[in-house]
This record gives sequence, C-alpha cells and structure tokens, in this order.
Amino acid sequence: MQFKHTQLDNGLTIVAEVNPDSASMAAGFFVKTGSRDETAEISGVSHFLEHMVFKGTERRSAFDVNLAFDRMGAHYNAFTSEENTVFFGSVLPEFQEPLLDLLSDILRPSLRQEDFDVEKGVIVDEIALYEDQPKFRVYDKMMSTHFADHPLGRCILGTPETIRKLRREQMQDYFDRRYSAGNITLVAVGNLDFDALVARAETDCAAWKSFDVTRQTPPAGASRTNELITDEKVTREHIGLMSAGPSRQCPERFAAELLAAIIGDTTGSRMYYGLVEKAIADEASMSYAPMDGAGGMMTFISCQPQRACEALTIARKVLADFQADGPNETELQAAKNKIASAATLKGELPMGRLAAVGLDWTYRGEYMPLSEQIEQLLAVTAEQVHQVAREFDISATTLVALGPATQL
Amino acid sequence: MIEKYFTERLDNGMVLLGEEMPNVSSASMMVLTPAGAAHSPADAPGAAAIGSEWLLRGAGDRDTRGIHDALDFLGCRHHEAVRSEHISLSAAQLGSNLPDVLAIYADILRRPGLSDETFEPCRALIEQDLASLEDEPARKCTLTLREKFFPPPLGRCVFGDAETLAKTKASQVREHMAAGVGPAGTILAVAGKIDWQAFRRQAVDLFENWQGAPGKEIPTTSAPGGVTHIRKDSAQTHIGMAHRSVTIDHQRYYAARVAEMVLSGGMASRLFTEVREKRGLVYHVSSRYNSLRSCAAMLTYAGTTPPKAQETFEVTVGELRRLADGVAADEMDRARTQLKSALVMQGESTEARAAAMANDWYFLSRLRGLGELSDAIDAVTVDDVMAYLAERPARDFTILVIGPEPIDTSVANE
Repeated sequence: MQFKHTQLDNGLTIVAEVNPDSASMAAGFFVKTGSRDETAEISGVSHFLEHMVFKGTERRSAFDVNLAFDRMGAHYNAFTSEENTVFFGSVLPEFQEPLLDLLSDILRPSLRQEDFDVEKGVIVDEIALYEDQPKFRVYDKMMSTHFADHPLGRCILGTPETIRKLRREQMQDYFDRRYSAGNITLVAVGNLDFDALVARAETDCAAWKSFDVTRQTPPAGASRTNELITDEKVTREHIGLMSAGPSRQCPERFAAELLAAIIGDTTGSRMYYGLVEKAIADEASMSYAPMDGAGGMMTFISCQPQRACEALTIARKVLADFQADGPNETELQAAKNKIASAATLKGELPMGRLAAVGLDWTYRGEYMPLSEQIEQLLAVTAEQVHQVAREFDISATTLVALGPATQL
Repeated sequence: MIEKYFTERLDNGMVLLGEEMPNVSSASMMVLTPAGAAHSPADAPGAAAIGSEWLLRGAGDRDTRGIHDALDFLGCRHHEAVRSEHISLSAAQLGSNLPDVLAIYADILRRPGLSDETFEPCRALIEQDLASLEDEPARKCTLTLREKFFPPPLGRCVFGDAETLAKTKASQVREHMAAGVGPAGTILAVAGKIDWQAFRRQAVDLFENWQGAPGKEIPTTSAPGGVTHIRKDSAQTHIGMAHRSVTIDHQRYYAARVAEMVLSGGMASRLFTEVREKRGLVYHVSSRYNSLRSCAAMLTYAGTTPPKAQETFEVTVGELRRLADGVAADEMDRARTQLKSALVMQGESTEARAAAMANDWYFLSRLRGLGELSDAIDAVTVDDVMAYLAERPARDFTILVIGPEPIDTSVANE
C-alpha cells in the first residue's frame, strides 16, 4: 500500500492509495460543494447539477457518456450531500485510462437546455420517491430544525417548486462559482498506475480554471426544539433525535464514532437492548454525522404510534445515562472490534476505500492508512468517549417525530 | 487469479464450502438453512421470520445478551434474514476470529434457546416489520408482486400477514424450526482469510453428530397472477411487473442474464435510456433476474409521479418486448463486459464470495469458478438471447400497482 499525491498548476489536487494486490481500481472527483453552499432561491442546484454532469459535454452526448461507462463494465455513480458532490467509478485496472478520460470530460458539462428540461422531471420524481419514505422526511426535517438558519439546514434535493423555477443560467452561474480546479480533488484507490493518472489529469484537467471559492462557516448552533408532524398517511411513528457532535476536523471524531456504536449500533447496543430486543421499536439506531466545522449525533427510531411516548422516554434515558456515566470497558471494546471489522471489510474493496481516502483529504488535507485509522480507534479511552458525551451534551436534542401520533 | 475452492459433504447431509482468498484479513460466513418462509405452516406463514429473530435469543449456555455480546466482542457483523427457501445467517469478521464465531454459530444452529420468555418480542418485531412495509411502498410493491407471481407458497411475503401473526404461537414456530433447521440441506460457506483444513476440522467436530430429518419438497399451487392495484395516497405510483425467466440450471440461463444486462445493466441500457433519459418519466426503473430453485422471474419496477404512470407503464412494456426484435453486437459486448467485470469486483469481497458459493451449491450442487463463469458469459451469442426470448417472451405479466389511481394495463395483454 503506497500513498502518492501531487497538485497541478491550476490547483487540482491528485491523491492515490496504490495497492497492486487489488483486482480493481476506483477513482472519483470530489468537489467541495453541496446544499450548504446554496441560497434559498437555488435550493437543490448542487444535486441537480450532479445529474446534469452525466448529460454530456462538448465531445459527448448524454448517451455517449452512459455508453462509455457501460463499455468499461464500470460500476459508477455520484452523490450529493450537504457539503460534497462526488463522481466516481470502479473498473478493472486495464480501464484506468478510459475511466479517467471520461470522468475528467464530464466534469466540464455542457448543461444543454434540452437536457436540463428533461432532467427536471427526473429530479421531481426523485423528490417524490423520498417523499414516500418517512425516514428521509424525518432526516430532512431534523437537519433543518436542528441547524435552523445555518447553511447546514438546507435541504439537498430542493423542493418541486425550487426545481421547476430553476433556470439553466442559474446552474451555470453556480458551476462557474464552485467547480474551480482548486476546489476539486481527484482521488484514486486500488491497482493503478499513478504516473499515468497524473499524466492523464495533466492532459484533461490542466485547462480547468482556478478561482477563489469560499464557504460560509458560521458557528452551528443546536436548536433543541421539538417538532411533531402528525400525518395520518404514515403508518409507523418515525422519530429522530439530534444533538451536536465533533466536526470532521476534530480529533474527538474517533471517540464520537465509538459513542454512536455503543449507544446505537444495530446489534448489541444500549438502544438495541432498551428498545429493539423488547420490541418497543423495530428500529433504534444512532449514527455520527461529522461535517465541516460542525457535527451531529443522530438517533432514529421507528415504532408503533401508541408506543411512541414510551420509546422516546427510554431513548432519552439511554442518552442521559450515558452522558452521566460513560461507557463500560466491555462495551467499549466490543464497539472497537465491530468498527475495526467493518472498516477492514470495506477497506478490502477499492470502491469501499475511495470515500474514506477522498474525504480525509477534502476535510483535513491528510492521508491516513486504514491500519493507522484502526490504531487510533483502538487507542480511544472510555474517559474520552464519556468526555464527548458531556462536551457535546448528547442528551440535549432536537426532536422530530413524524407519523399518526397527535401528541408526544 | 488462483482459485482455491473446497467442498465437503458430511454424512448427515450438511455441506461445507470454502474459498481461501489472498490479500484479505477478513473472513465471511454464510449459512443457508432450509427453514424459509415457503416452509412455514399455512396457518403461520410468518413462522420463519419469527424463527430467524428467535434464533439469536439465547443459544447453548448463553442468553440473548450473552450471544449478542459475544459476537460483538469478536467484531462480528451479523445479519439474519428470511428468504423463500431459507433462513440465511451471515457473519463477517477478521479471519483470526472465525473459529470463535463458528463455535457460537454451532450453538445457534444446534442448541437455540427458543424459550417462551423470548418468543413474544420476536413475534411482535415481525408484526412491526410487516407494518413498516406501509411506509416503504417501493419495497412493498416488489414483495407483493412476488406473492402474486410465484406459485404459492414460494412467493409469500416473508413476514406473513397481520391476521395470522397476531395468533402465531411459540409451539408453531418451534415446530417449524425443528423441521427446517437441521443438517440436511444446510450449507455453510466461508471465504477470505481462512485455513481450510483447520476450518474443516473444527466444523466437522461441531456438526458431524448433528441429527435431523431430511428436508421436504414444498408442494405448490398455481400462481394467482393478474393485475392488482393497491390504492394508496402516495407521492409516487409504484409499478411492478413480473414475467417468466429460466432457472440457474437451465441451458439458457446465461442468455437470460445477458438479456437482463441489455435491458437494465447500466445507464446506457434500454430501460434507462428510453424511460428515464429520453423521456424523463422516472428516477428509478430496472429489471432484475430473480430465481428460486423451481422457477424464475424477471422483475421490473418503475416509480413515477401519478400523471406519468400510464406512459411509464406503456414505454416500459414496449422496451421489454422490443428486445425480441434484436440485440446489437455492441449491446452484447457491453453486457458481457459488465457481467464479467461485476464478477471480478465481487471476487474482492469476502461477503460476496461466501454468499455466491452458498447460492451456487443450493442451485447447482457445485461451485462455479471465475473461469467457468467468464467462459459461459463469453459464449452467449445473439442467437442464444433470441432463443431465450422466444422461450420466455415478455408477456403474461403479473402486475402490481401501488398509488392513488389504477393504470390501464391493456397494452400488456396485446
């Protein structure tokens, strides 16, 4: 395993974890932009633009782009979050060149009006798809309630209204402000030829413009308010609880990951024993959501509406008890072992390792081999985990409940 | 790539499968045991699902917490699921912990507690899983479509139904588990950082004196089929369609998989191009091959906003049928490359390899190596695909629609 990195004159950074033992390679462009970088008027543009990136360039139609990916037998996709837009694919090593050629080309999309109009329909359908899944509605509402007016409270997909109103020129303008070479990292993992990767990037990306890109990072508060949304169309009660947490830049992030696993992993956690084992809820899990200069601890519960109060009382007690007493050594060790196993399994696949390498670089400008990551995790003490619970006041939560319940 | 596969059949009928993989430190295990939903008694169709939950509620000398804590401590990521024919137990961990995990699974399979005290929460959880489907209409669409398409009880919803779940008793589930969870028909596959000989010795010690009755064939009745609309005030109309395909042991199996790729293998595939890219009708549209031992289906799903549902349905059916008009050489090439590339990438994952080996054994009673699969895919010609489509034409659809309004499905009968 070897780490390599370089930077082109225009500021495009290239990082790679080379592993000649892999059977495949994965590569992606990590653009540091997302819904938090939008205004209310253009809400959803980052994600819509992600779709438009696949709709063709000066040299390729949308169909040409899709054909080129499929001819390589690539596994490929893209995602947009509050903070990142990532375009990636994995292929057998012999397709490194054409994969890079294609990914670099589509990162300079034509944004043709006709494609823009057709794709609006697809985005509106994607919004409807999530509308039918209460869990996603709770996530969106929880982010917007918890972060209130902070940019992190902006919804990723936008609404059907903002999407319908969005003009092509507004998207072009957003692209011209955000897709600077200096705001993009090319990340590659697996069985790859780094020199060829750099040479290809020189040929394809050196002409990309570079300009200053800023991100507003006001301090993020935590509203700690309660929102009960009564919706009779929903069958179960879906509850979200969110407190603050360490940011992606914080050294406490390892402790926060352990905290989430001890409290809310899907097996053997405190939420599991408190709620799922007893069938008070069919789902109760906590995850750690690290972000740029902010972070969150999120708990999701799904239960019968008539037992929502009971479930919520137990969940709140789990959080309060943990904040008061911290973890015991046995549960801490179990959480460490589970996370280390999961990271190992994921790290054995280039596609699984890509996001970790890319995001480490995007947020902290650092590379950390998997082995070191696991070492750091194993070195965390019970006191450090307890300290995160106290410092971020994990029992002081924003609450969103969605379902038939009329009171909580 | 060097392939190192191992198989061993114990006298009691249990089968052990292994693959030693270089360059990994994990080892994944997949157990298939023939106690799936189709084996559940008619008056308790959710018995298998309850049983899969119940299996980990204490086993051997450990109680529920003892089992979960022990697996957690070994860093074991485990998952229990119910399928039509099997209960599946998967467990992924570092290879160094595999022996300890295997010993716990021997308890889970051979000495499950299945005590009265732990029964009720398991039953109640499955009741909740069933209710949760109402909040996941796309998933409900596919599960209900299978129920209508496959000859009962093969396609039955693994969670059973609300009425019988409320009445299901511990004794019924215990009986179901006793009949199904036994050595005959149980497949245990491991892949990753393993020493096959050591694994084999330990597994033989743990399982060789496991006794149990041989499994039974599942008697089936004829599939209901037809068109079903489930009215729901949902944001999307969820459209599911099923038509017949060939099983894995059929001579046209690889042709079927190539046809699946041409239809729905990537973003340049027929369905994606015609339904989403050209017309903007959907976010998601796909056709997936799905096989049981005795029958197989192509399951097609499209989710769209209600005003576009009719057109989405008609364009999708049109594409399923247009395939029989011919497949271009370039489409064949892409399909083959996609299938082979997916094989190599799955070959890097210990979890994917363990699951694939267990499935191979269940369907074919042998393991297929990468070379064999690759050669079989390369050998598929356009004529093979056309012959497959002539044998399994896109007609006689079973259709399931969830949404505010029904759609006119007459085009599917033409």
